[in-house]
Amino acid sequence: MHRYPFTMPDQRTLVANLVLLVLAGAAVMTSLSMGTVQIAPAEVIRALTGTTDDPMAAFVINELRLGRVMAGLLSGAALALAGCLMQTLARNRLATPGIIGIDNAATAFAVASVVGTGIALAPSAMALAGAATATVLAFGLAGANGTRGYRFIVAGLGIGAIAGAVTQVMLSQVAIDDANAAYPWTVGSLNARTPESVQLLALGLAVGCLALMCLSRAVNSLQFSDPVAITLGIKLKRTRLLGLGLSVLMTGLAVSVCGPVGLVALLAPELARSLCRPGKVPLTASALAGAGFMVVADLLGRTLFSPLEIPVGIITAIVGSPYLLWILLRPSTRSLT
Amino acid sequence: MIVASLVYGAGPVTPLEVLATLVGQGSSEAWFVVTELRLPRTLIGLTTGLALGIAGALLQAMTRNPLAEPGLLGVSAGAGFAVAVAILVGASTATLTTLIAQAGALAGCSLVIAATRVQGLGNDPVRLVLAGATLSGLLLALTSMLMLMDQRAADEIRFWITGSIAGKSLATFQATLPSLVIALALVVVVARPLAAMALGERAAVGLGHHPGRIRFLITITVALLVGAATALAGPLIFVGLVVPFIARAFAGPDIRNTLWLCLPIGPAVVLAADVVSRLIAAPAEMPLGVVTALIGAPVLLAIVRAGRMPSL
Repeated sequence: MHRYPFTMPDQRTLVANLVLLVLAGAAVMTSLSMGTVQIAPAEVIRALTGTTDDPMAAFVINELRLGRVMAGLLSGAALALAGCLMQTLARNRLATPGIIGIDNAATAFAVASVVGTGIALAPSAMALAGAATATVLAFGLAGANGTRGYRFIVAGLGIGAIAGAVTQVMLSQVAIDDANAAYPWTVGSLNARTPESVQLLALGLAVGCLALMCLSRAVNSLQFSDPVAITLGIKLKRTRLLGLGLSVLMTGLAVSVCGPVGLVALLAPELARSLCRPGKVPLTASALAGAGFMVVADLLGRTLFSPLEIPVGIITAIVGSPYLLWILLRPSTRSLT
Repeated sequence: MIVASLVYGAGPVTPLEVLATLVGQGSSEAWFVVTELRLPRTLIGLTTGLALGIAGALLQAMTRNPLAEPGLLGVSAGAGFAVAVAILVGASTATLTTLIAQAGALAGCSLVIAATRVQGLGNDPVRLVLAGATLSGLLLALTSMLMLMDQRAADEIRFWITGSIAGKSLATFQATLPSLVIALALVVVVARPLAAMALGERAAVGLGHHPGRIRFLITITVALLVGAATALAGPLIFVGLVVPFIARAFAGPDIRNTLWLCLPIGPAVVLAADVVSRLIAAPAEMPLGVVTALIGAPVLLAIVRAGRMPSL
């Protein structure tokens, strides 16, 4: 059968990935050219390649917008990848980091480091610790009941509620300036990012993608029942642990950049799954879709009510919630989980 | 708990002074603290707990779902969103706020009832909660968006949305009183048919009740109660879960006993949470909604974790 741990994508998946890549690229170009100052796409390209004569355009593109768009691109990809991975591991379509409370916990830990409760670790490290804690809690609490079905999800909902309340407690304890500084964290926004956290995210995403390329065959086999996966020669425990670790890594780093932006991790894999060939876990397509989705949502938030800026987390919630409701409420013809 | 709520808090008033004030003697400072600040707060906490506890018990009995809770299912969020819209367009009188909150709660409650009629959803307690949580999230996002639109309204909404019973005047309390009386009268009317419906809808019909009419009455009652509570204290989550949970543990399966027990337990839970929120970070305060979430979420985990979902 397969001599190599990774598999070549089939034609349909390849086409889907290309389409999503083009869409994400278009989103990036639009996002770079639109804003308070409109800059023509041709000018954007000249500014990016450093051949423009217009110093203003060069400044706006390279100094102001590029960093933000890159942050959106990376965090969207990381969130979507983490979501897709966790859905596969838990064998539950609703088990995305946002829904089972991992985002909220990462935020709570990161806010703790921002408002300075005596913990001097950087937000990225704290967000990672928070994501890890919540993941252990969610899967630990699932215990013998397993991770399928809705109970697992509602247990995660409880974890998320506790973490959200803890965030509120910390915000209500500190001076108003500190609280305002930490506010974007609570809704999910690309405003609060620091360059270091974006660099860390890029690094983490690169590591994650490499690891997932090596793991892709094992991850694909996780869709089958345990005995089948074992028969296929997959080391289940190791794959699960690695997958969860990667998922935690990417969620934590993404949250340290953009806060708890909900539902990207649910919507992007859904879209990817409907485009790609069924039977495979569409990791690449999820990442591309998530990146594009995040950039578009941020673009909408920036331009819709300009000069007012709507945090990206609110946009994704308004777009994503009706879809999630539809999944939950439609008379089900097949099992969701 | 009423005593504790009157006695504890920021400000140097000793328990003895509180007693002295209540019987008509005491310093003017203590008199101000007790009657102007703490007494309204205690009264509001009392009503909020009562309303949310009973609304939770009713909703749980009707949907046969131990997790059906106004806060989790989006009823409170509906009321909250309606009030946010009202504040934004400039309405701020107490009576109007209450009515609007109740209209919002009615919309939210009707949605929940409609959702339980969807094929398969009524039998799956946890899935309903997830749908409600999603609806709450959506409404919360819309409320946040409204807050961004208007800075003045935002301050007013933010003060109210985290759930707090501090600094609320007695005017709001008086505005909610009539609807509370109506709601409690309705509870008395529906309690007996509701107990019959616990036997199954057919049995209830056989006993001469009309399930459709009862469902309609309960929807109205829950909307009145939750709307009033939300107008008073903001969207408080988990109170409607914890109170009936405790009450059921004592009362057993009969919904009428549970409802009776909710009368003392609801206020006790809210007032206890309020006292904690005052003391835990004195002299500052923590929003009440945060404390109820910290108390309620573990209860939610416990119910979900229980090997067998307690069926209603």
